[in-house]
Amino acid sequence: MPSWIGQALRTGIRTTPYPERPASEEEVPATGRPPVRTTPDPPSADVISSCPSGAIVSSGVDQGKCIRCARCLPGGFAFRGPVEAATGSRSELLQDAPLAAVGRVLDALPPLGGFARSLHVFLVDAGSCNSCNLEVMALSNPLYDSQRLGVFFTNSPRHADALLVVGVPTDEMVPSLRRAYEALPDPKVVIAVGACPISGGVFAGTPGLATSLDDLLPVDIYVPGCPPTPVQILDGILRSVGRGRPREVP
Amino acid sequence: MTTPIRALPRGAEEGVDAAPLGALAYASEDGSLAVYNDYEVGRSVIGPPPDFAGLRTVAETWRRSSKAGVSRPGGPADPIDGYGVFTFPYGPISMGVPESGKFEVRTYGERILGLSPVAGFKSRRILSSVVGSTIPDAALRIERLAGNFSAAHTAAFLAAAESAEGRPVAREELWIRALGQELQRIYNHVHVLARIAEAAAQNVGAAQSHALAEDLLRLQGSVFGHRWLFGAFLPGGPRRATDREAREKLAARLVPLARTFSDLWELFLGSRTFVDRIQSTCVVPRTVALQWGAVGPTLRACGVDWDDRLRVPTVPYNDLFLDLPNESDGDALARLLVRAHEVRASFLLLEQLLDRWPSGTDGDEPPAANVGPERGLGRVESPSGDLVYDVYVKDGRVAGIGMRSASQANFPVFARGLRDGVFTDFHFAWESFGIVFAEVDA
Amino acid sequence: MSNDVLAVLLVVAVATFFLGAALSIIRRSLGYLAALVGSVLLLFTAVVVLLGGPVSSPTWTGPLGEPESLSMDSLSAFFALAASIVWIATSVYSIFYDDRRSPMLAISYCLTVGSIALLVNASSEVLFLIGWETMTLASYGMILQARGAAERVSSAAFVFLAFGEASTLFVILAVAGLRVGTGSFLFGAHLGPGSLATIVFVAALIGFGLKMGIAPFHMSEWLPIAHSSAPSNASAVLSSTLTLAGAYGLFRMVSLLNSPPLWWGAVMLGIGAISALLGALFAAVSEHTKGLPAYSTIENNGLILVALGVALLSRSDGLEELFVFALFAALYQALAHAVAKTGLFLSAGYVEHTSHTFDLNAVDGRVKGTSRAQLLGTVAATLSLAAGPPLAGFVSEWMVLEALFQSYRFSQSWVQFVGLLAGAAVALAAGLILVAMVKFVGFSVLWRPRGGPPGNGAPGLGTVVGGVGATVVAIGVLAPWILQFLAPTASAFAGYSVAAPVGGLLSVPQGWSILSGSPFGILSPPMIPLALAIGSLVGLGYYALGRHRPRRRAAQWMAGSAPGLDGETYTSFGYSTGIRIMMGSVLGTREVRSDVGSVSVAGVDSVEPYSVDLEVFDSFKLFYAALVRLGNGISDVLKVWIMPGRLGRYLAYVLVVVLAVVIYIAAAY
Repeated sequence: MPSWIGQALRTGIRTTPYPERPASEEEVPATGRPPVRTTPDPPSADVISSCPSGAIVSSGVDQGKCIRCARCLPGGFAFRGPVEAATGSRSELLQDAPLAAVGRVLDALPPLGGFARSLHVFLVDAGSCNSCNLEVMALSNPLYDSQRLGVFFTNSPRHADALLVVGVPTDEMVPSLRRAYEALPDPKVVIAVGACPISGGVFAGTPGLATSLDDLLPVDIYVPGCPPTPVQILDGILRSVGRGRPREVP
Repeated sequence: MTTPIRALPRGAEEGVDAAPLGALAYASEDGSLAVYNDYEVGRSVIGPPPDFAGLRTVAETWRRSSKAGVSRPGGPADPIDGYGVFTFPYGPISMGVPESGKFEVRTYGERILGLSPVAGFKSRRILSSVVGSTIPDAALRIERLAGNFSAAHTAAFLAAAESAEGRPVAREELWIRALGQELQRIYNHVHVLARIAEAAAQNVGAAQSHALAEDLLRLQGSVFGHRWLFGAFLPGGPRRATDREAREKLAARLVPLARTFSDLWELFLGSRTFVDRIQSTCVVPRTVALQWGAVGPTLRACGVDWDDRLRVPTVPYNDLFLDLPNESDGDALARLLVRAHEVRASFLLLEQLLDRWPSGTDGDEPPAANVGPERGLGRVESPSGDLVYDVYVKDGRVAGIGMRSASQANFPVFARGLRDGVFTDFHFAWESFGIVFAEVDA
Repeated sequence: MSNDVLAVLLVVAVATFFLGAALSIIRRSLGYLAALVGSVLLLFTAVVVLLGGPVSSPTWTGPLGEPESLSMDSLSAFFALAASIVWIATSVYSIFYDDRRSPMLAISYCLTVGSIALLVNASSEVLFLIGWETMTLASYGMILQARGAAERVSSAAFVFLAFGEASTLFVILAVAGLRVGTGSFLFGAHLGPGSLATIVFVAALIGFGLKMGIAPFHMSEWLPIAHSSAPSNASAVLSSTLTLAGAYGLFRMVSLLNSPPLWWGAVMLGIGAISALLGALFAAVSEHTKGLPAYSTIENNGLILVALGVALLSRSDGLEELFVFALFAALYQALAHAVAKTGLFLSAGYVEHTSHTFDLNAVDGRVKGTSRAQLLGTVAATLSLAAGPPLAGFVSEWMVLEALFQSYRFSQSWVQFVGLLAGAAVALAAGLILVAMVKFVGFSVLWRPRGGPPGNGAPGLGTVVGGVGATVVAIGVLAPWILQFLAPTASAFAGYSVAAPVGGLLSVPQGWSILSGSPFGILSPPMIPLALAIGSLVGLGYYALGRHRPRRRAAQWMAGSAPGLDGETYTSFGYSTGIRIMMGSVLGTREVRSDVGSVSVAGVDSVEPYSVDLEVFDSFKLFYAALVRLGNGISDVLKVWIMPGRLGRYLAYVLVVVLAVVIYIAAAY
């Protein structure tokens, strides 16, 4: 007789060992890793203009703009950057050397040092395509299970410590976004997930959309990707309380 | 146009089963083009609109009258009044609905007397901003219009552009597009099942379904290099694993996934509490589905047989076996049943696609006939229903674009169907329609 | 204090009320002042009697040849005490509130209050009846002073009068039974068990139950107050003290009946529990600022009956300790309710004065911010009725529930079962009344939507409400000492000396805790605010040291929408719709749709209803309607049958009667 218990026993435990172990290839597909320069020569003008979101600069790749379209690959790039690509500042997203190895663990942000074992996150969709939404929601499924790491998603900003923003903020969503930020009690952090809130992604320059979440709220953590995989989003959230996995040199 | 299309008599009483008929699937902004689905004959008719006042659907009228920004279609919520009745704003950041969208609920407490949806919060002005871009550049944005339907949107857009340009496409490309669409369809349907199970507090079932959905995403990631198939159908995109060895591996990986779904589905149907919760929830009467322009599983749950893969023959679907049973109750259970049928059918389709993969020497496939000078129409069955793209191309660049997504059609139907429901029914109804705000607002 | 001086004070107190009625003709405020003076004197006398001993005025001969006097023993003293606390508040309130041109309200107010004072201090049942009937008539006069549609007001007042006269009828029956059984009209004469005692008990229960608003007579309570929108001081007097008079009558008469059989207590328990549940249920779905408290009165009086029922059951079963505890519970419940309900009605009057509406959905936050005293007083009163610690209602509810919890002590299992069911009903009622009270205080006083306009306050009225709230807090916190103070009352009822169930345990000083059994439960009301205060010191210290983060004010979160601007917030009606639907079978909930028409939605026609109303229905109305139809039907039949207007029939009647008299006289001799 079929039963849920039988089904559960057959399935067994499938939770990822991340962040104790590095992320597997299954969890992070080819385009999940950020692109890095494979040759020491600076990119040519053709290559620079081939990037639809203007992420390629003479010194490397602005990860905050990369939408993982893979058009730059023939021009001397490869998706070989570290999985843990989240940073604490916008400028850090510019990789100024090939295979930049920033091996240090981001220090816990001062306001949230004590929240390492219990962080409540409130998700706001400011104008996303829904893929970032679904990746964030995937953190609650048994394969990632953010709750075992003390990361909980709340239904109300009043109960939250961190504001997770996905999507490029549209003019219509800006008032609600601000209200959500105001409603979070202090201390709090803001985490921008995906290329859209960091720089506008592929929509940069469209009238009626904010250029960047930076212009609206003080952002503390940037998680690049389009969309970032669940382990990368998890890494970004954990970094805000100082629990992120050390960035590896690939 | 050989068969005349009969319209629903104006002012027909709801509940009276009118004769089968057709519905307006899409009408362009400038009124130069209209697409009708003749449900009786099972064919789609395209052309300049004759007098079709009787065929106007709420969905179409609503779509064309709402603008980017906070729009408020004339919903049935407005006239309802009574002692203690008030309008309760739900949203735009309501945690029950994953995306940002607002509902104005007319209620006296527990009952939903009327529901007026307010869309436009997620409008990224995509349709207006792609005008002037090259096709590949425009496709980058179209992909990201609705991430979980990206395969459908990209395939429809590319088909429309190719039709406008008269450009033939390699057969293998069409197979790849079908592969991606079917994989995403399975993912979306499993995700809907997981969300409904969550709402019904079937925690084990929800966890199992979410795990299956995640497995499907990882599969898509390994085959196409991107979990959401961004760049999968575009030149210069991430490398795709479609050689013989990769296809055999993929076919092998699909077998246990199909079995898991079967097992889960059987367990769900055997759970009386689960079935009870979604039975008779948010019933959409057949006449409402027809008059208001429902599409996809929503329409097929009301007994109307229409799927673009069968009715709008394109390569490769025209050659493959596809059996899609309908349901007739029109409630959330029926919509879920339709989705389960589709999942089974999609697994079968994937098997057939991988089996009959075109070889490199097969040559190109001519595009569909255009519908006007430098104007093409692309129609696919997205996971939530019929998706229409209407594209003008000039010198390799997009000169004009129109789009009608499945969510835009089903959105008003949802609002109408939930009338006289209770608050607790909201999430079951919402998830069972599979509406994505991202493609409502575009 | 010498007995004579006290007796004079008592007579003067009662007389002052009637003097006030006369003074009102000259000037309304004089009448209310007289009522205030009378209340203070009565309060003083009651306190002295409770401390010292009973007092009695000189006697005179009454209309039926029996000796009459105004005498206050400990039982009367308690009810006089409770009533005079209420009257002090309402009299001061009335001075500010009454702005009518006609003095009728003031006159009828003084008469009502005076007659209640009279009947509470009556030494014989005849004087009691005189006071009872005067009270009914004077209240009728008060209700007629309501401002509203004349038709509605007079019909509501008539309902009140009808129920009031029915009550008098049953009380007369009880008095007659007592007279026949004991041979005296005096309240000291006890009646032994038997069928006569049963008749007296049932008649007293029905008669006083009618006044207290017990189911199935609860219509008498809510209809006149809610439907006629009687003036607030009248409503307070009606709800608090009229029902107190009913309770007094019941207590008094039951105390005269020796050796009550088991089923009396069980009947009281059952009726009380049902009333409590029904009252709480209808209160939770009421939208009227007066109707809601009126239903709450039904609930609280039900609780008094429950406690009294447990007391009687314990007495019959020989459980002395439970009897004493339940008795004190009943008394304390009466006191707590009287004061808190006054606060509620006076607050409703303030709300009506400020926002000009009796509808909780229409207040729209116009009351908030107008008077801090009124806000605090209303919160205290509603919290007390919702049994929130450490207030009076909390202590009384705890005592009633503790008494019911001890049902297992009864010897007979059916009695235990009745206690169990009653306990469940009372607990459910407590939950429902919480909904009602939160609704009341939230939507009338505590909430203001963004941008709502404030109304004009009335400082005098607000202060009175605040004073009542403070009294409620005091009664709650000082409960153990008040119980000790009321020991003479309980002794007067029991017929022998009883001690209050207070003690000390677990390092709480002696006399600071209430013990519900030995051993069973313990509660120390004064310790609660003490513990709260000590516990808050840490937080307050932290705050005072300035270690806290600077405060930041944030707007209400409404899922991203702007509060107050993007759509409306929940109405009071919506707040309790869940209960309307869930308890739909008891409430008779049904949805009424009207004005159905054709609407064009985005170019497509559809059929939509315009107006949807969710209505509840007091099914007991059907019972009374049926009763009225039955009565009318019978009288129609009899009328036609007995008085057909034919001379021959009337002559036949005369002949029959003459023959009967002749036969009777012949047989007698």
